[in-house]
Amino acid sequence: MNTNELQLKRAASSSLLSLLNLTFLPVLAFISLLFIYTKTESNTIDRYYVVLGIKTNLLAAVALLLMTGLMILLGGFDSPWTWVFVISYFVFVHAMFILFASWAMVRSWTGKKLKRQFLSK
Amino acid sequence: MRETFTKGMARNIYYGGGIFFFLVLIGLTVDTVRSLPKTDNSQNLTELVIEGKRVWEVNNCIGCHTLLGEGAYFAPELGNVYTRFGESTESIKAFIKYRPVEGIPGRRSMPQFNLTEEELEAVAQFLKYTDGIKTARDWPPNIQG
Amino acid sequence: MKYESQGIAKMYFIAAIALFVGQILFGVTMGLQYVMGDFLFPEIPFNVARMVHTNLLIVWLLFGFMGSAYFLVPEEAERELYAPWLAKLMFWIFLVAGALTILGYLLVPYARLAELTMNDLLPTMGREFLEQPTITKIGIVIVALAFIYNIGMTVLTGRKTVINVVLLTGLVGLAVFFLFSFYNPDNLVMDKYFWWFVVHLWVEGVWELIMASLLAYVLIKVTGVDREVIEKWLYIIIAMALISGLVGTGHHFFWIGTPDYWQWLGSIFSALEPIPFFMMTLFAFNVVNKRRRDHPNKAAVLWALGTAVMAFLGAGVWGFLHTLAPINFYTHGTQITAAHGHMAFYGAYVMVVLTMISYSMPLMRGQKAANVTAQKIEIWSFWTMTLSMVAITLFLTAAGVMQVYLQRYSADPLPFMVVQDKLAVFYWLREVAGLIFLSGLFLYLYSFFAKGEEVKLVEE
Repeated sequence: MNTNELQLKRAASSSLLSLLNLTFLPVLAFISLLFIYTKTESNTIDRYYVVLGIKTNLLAAVALLLMTGLMILLGGFDSPWTWVFVISYFVFVHAMFILFASWAMVRSWTGKKLKRQFLSK
Repeated sequence: MRETFTKGMARNIYYGGGIFFFLVLIGLTVDTVRSLPKTDNSQNLTELVIEGKRVWEVNNCIGCHTLLGEGAYFAPELGNVYTRFGESTESIKAFIKYRPVEGIPGRRSMPQFNLTEEELEAVAQFLKYTDGIKTARDWPPNIQG
Repeated sequence: MKYESQGIAKMYFIAAIALFVGQILFGVTMGLQYVMGDFLFPEIPFNVARMVHTNLLIVWLLFGFMGSAYFLVPEEAERELYAPWLAKLMFWIFLVAGALTILGYLLVPYARLAELTMNDLLPTMGREFLEQPTITKIGIVIVALAFIYNIGMTVLTGRKTVINVVLLTGLVGLAVFFLFSFYNPDNLVMDKYFWWFVVHLWVEGVWELIMASLLAYVLIKVTGVDREVIEKWLYIIIAMALISGLVGTGHHFFWIGTPDYWQWLGSIFSALEPIPFFMMTLFAFNVVNKRRRDHPNKAAVLWALGTAVMAFLGAGVWGFLHTLAPINFYTHGTQITAAHGHMAFYGAYVMVVLTMISYSMPLMRGQKAANVTAQKIEIWSFWTMTLSMVAITLFLTAAGVMQVYLQRYSADPLPFMVVQDKLAVFYWLREVAGLIFLSGLFLYLYSFFAKGEEVKLVEE
């Protein structure tokens, strides 16, 4: 396998791990992402996707865990309003992250970066 | 991976999986239907209850209420209304009978269906029979439905 | 448009859109009745409005599916429709039967309608979504049979592609499972159990085959991606739909007097049900990303992507939210169900029909794509309707969580109507979102009439 193929493969695995960390394999997938990071070099497509995956998941951790944690802390465990906000917010934002990671994964399969709009002008 | 996973394989999973799980569903259905008498309260399925089910249907009660959690979510659950109304079919009948024709200003109200005494008795008995169905974990969670 | 008989789809689509407008008008009426209980009472009580709302939805989606099939099948089969006259005849029969049924709901009390249509001979009325008089149900079966005969003969005597065979399978399934609507046992548990053979096996079974094949067809057309690739995706998506969805019916058998094992089976299999919808999203993203051409009909591409995403959100995510038995114990039959129902129906089935309309309508009007202005308006209507549906879903979810907490979960549960009063704020917000949806729908209607600069055709 030449370098280019290897990079493409790593880019695809990174984007898949990013998605997995958001869904079935939280934490474990993130550790794997960090591991892949150590093997990549700067300015390559696999570095791009592994960094994107790490950033996405750090942001998701803040947006999902920290924010809902704060909502529960501030709203109180026994208030229905807390759960109204936590559940609606968590489900919706979580789904948005999954959709974003999915689009990133599809892009990584073709070895291109994220840029480029859904619909061309 | 994309080279080794062919369209033919995808097709076989579709046909194989579809047919297999359809057969599983049929098998489970046979088993369910066989074991229903233990829970479905069919020993109390009298002629009057059957008539009550018809009254329930032709007045489209499901268009507002839920019954065992299925239906519309506009009006209370009726799967346990017999218990909620103090195990009294008379209370159920009275409730249906005395709905104001013009409704209650500003509030949701049940239409006046002008049921006959027999229909009232039948639908109340139907709701009593429904309450007797043994649902898993005694659903609904509490008396409020 | 390659075959003349494809043009029959147009009348079906016009009827579908007209009924869609009716559906939404009744939707906002009911939304208001949620907070102003005496609105239109006793002239149009809630149960009647709801029946009209849901039945119009079913009827217009069926019009949409039939129109889509009439457009798609001749092209895929590479021949004219087997019997165009039959398609036209069935259109009028279905439209008149549908209109009479809706008028019946609105003009006479339901019990009187049951009497007039001799429900006693074969009682099938009065069950959710299957409220149609028995005679209407028989009419639906006749129309469906004639339709399937017509489509089936076209496919069988023409080129058989994966798309038209899967579509045909889905349509046959639709007709076959509808037959369970005639089975109305006196035993309530049996009645409920087999009622789901129509409702679940439609929307989480055979309709998914129809939806996936329509989406695959439009994606082939607008992206130019190789048919082999698309067909492989199609097979694997519908395989997952059936593998998860058939036994997944069990998530409806938790609390209706059926055996306890359904709690395990229903939970496990329905937890897999988001997978086909997620794969549909990946599929649409993937082929649009790998597209070989930029189709001039951008609105259609947007609808196709939107369908995949919104079906995943509505059917997948919002379905999973309350599908596990321990959670469903609390959420069963609350506004959570309503939230899921709205987004799933819109995202999966409304949007796939609108995708087909968006792609095919300009072709039937002799254009490659609608003009620039019309497309711009259509895209605006896409966002207005889609985002307001997201809002409706979020407000109903919020209402549902509050309802579950106060009425089911709390140590001191409150009565249903008391809880409903406390949810008024969410219902008002939902009503506002509903009105925005309606305005998006009017924008959508307007897009068909807007004049403007013709699109530039870039031949591939």
